[in-house]
Amino acid sequence: MDLFVQTLVNGLLQSGLYALVASGLALAVGVVGIVNFAHGEYLMIGAFLAWAGSAFLGVDPLLSLPVIAVAVFAIGALTYRVSIRHVLLAPELNQMLLTFGLGILLQNLALMLLGGNTRTVTTPYQASSMQLGDLSVGGPKALAFGLAALLLGALYVVLYRTTLGRQMRAVAQNRRGAQLIGINVDRVYLIAFGVSCALAAVAGVLVSVLLFASPTVGLVFALKAFAIIVMAGLGNLTGVLWASVLLGVSEALVQTYVPGGGGWSDAVFFLMIFGTLVLRSYRGAR
Amino acid sequence: MTYTLNRTSPTANDVGQELRIEGLAAGYGKVQVLWDVSLHAAPGEFVAVIGANGAGKTTTLRAVSGVVKPSAGRITLGGVDITRAEPSRVVALGLGHVPEGRELFPHMTVRENLDLGAAMSAAARARAAETLGEVYALFPRLQERAGQLAGTLSGGEQQMVAVGRALMARPSVLVVDEPSLGLSPLMTQTVFEALKAVNAQGVTVVLVEQNVNLSLKLAHRAYVLENGQVVKEGTGAALLADPAVREAYLAL
Repeated sequence: MDLFVQTLVNGLLQSGLYALVASGLALAVGVVGIVNFAHGEYLMIGAFLAWAGSAFLGVDPLLSLPVIAVAVFAIGALTYRVSIRHVLLAPELNQMLLTFGLGILLQNLALMLLGGNTRTVTTPYQASSMQLGDLSVGGPKALAFGLAALLLGALYVVLYRTTLGRQMRAVAQNRRGAQLIGINVDRVYLIAFGVSCALAAVAGVLVSVLLFASPTVGLVFALKAFAIIVMAGLGNLTGVLWASVLLGVSEALVQTYVPGGGGWSDAVFFLMIFGTLVLRSYRGAR
Repeated sequence: MTYTLNRTSPTANDVGQELRIEGLAAGYGKVQVLWDVSLHAAPGEFVAVIGANGAGKTTTLRAVSGVVKPSAGRITLGGVDITRAEPSRVVALGLGHVPEGRELFPHMTVRENLDLGAAMSAAARARAAETLGEVYALFPRLQERAGQLAGTLSGGEQQMVAVGRALMARPSVLVVDEPSLGLSPLMTQTVFEALKAVNAQGVTVVLVEQNVNLSLKLAHRAYVLENGQVVKEGTGAALLADPAVREAYLAL
């Protein structure tokens, strides 16, 4: 029983990170209408910036986090301005090719500049853990979960309680209607895409502490984020939270109870995409 | 002197402005829809634009809003050139657009839809509570439905939300695109009466409609649009009596 509870807790903690990456992706897909295949690369940028801050300036990743978030927001906004903006009315295939190419570009740029080695960040709290009764919780993991929960809460407040958030939801629900009541749709897209990238970068900072930074570190997180937003239904933010928890906990269960589960757990999200699509088509067929 | 001050912030203005379109040409990609459209609505006037499907009525209104960029011609709102201006600027200058198909935010409540209508200008925000009262007075049904998601309303109620949302910005010119589409005769009557009431408060109204009979009865003046050109204009009553109009649009 203790093992089961411990497994659930581990899964839940992991889901915070997933939700952070996936909610950013959901914002790009839902508001801007762009399926951003380069989403994981913004996570990678965040991870490398955190590593660089720690290695060269001796700044703890958690302290550099706000600066990194703002910097990657700017990078995302710039990306929107020079590329995404010009394909908004293009066929979907062109949009996908653009973001896919962007991802390859950023990945190889990182490879060229920094090499393929994984870079680790050392922090004093890395090996710490908390003891809650029989449960043991890794310090960084708990920290990452707390931060993710805080940020997602903030995102929720912005989307549902502020004028900017209402504008974002309006644009997501009806672009033309939003335009005709005077919402500057282009500006909303720029901000939404910037925030989307910043959320990925924040996740990247946490990943640098929990795992490492490398040119391809974003890939698996982006894939899982895709699985999550497919499960949640495109652009559904509360759905993203539930789907993240489902993925995190499922992975943890596989890790604990399936022999050789460490390797299998990374395949869980494939199963979830598969299951969702089959269920949807089954429902649709009825 | 206060009048002059008022003109500098037209969105908070209850006084209608003039809308003038001269020699407008526009289209989508290579398909030209409008060839030479000239029309105007004087401050406080109720103008109808009638014509068959594909005559260019909706495109004309989209060009006014800045959603479609004209290839030639000139559009002014209260004397300010808005040809090729961004939609957000056109709204800020005092244009309210009730689009064809309503274009509401389906997953938001009626109240949220209305609030968003006032969100884009400081002047409209400052008077939002007052304007909301006016919209509810115009459409009591919207007050009853305030907490309901817009996507779950009937077609007529959705049309009320679309009109109300545009009014929340306190426009000086209201352009309305096919409000009767898909509505019962009774509901059409309700919406048209509301437009008449809005116009009576001084707001310039430009109504694009296929319901020729009703709109000609309501309008001070009207234009007939055919194949992207204005082919006739006159008072509503004169056009209603015109044999050619009667034959083409009223099948009489």
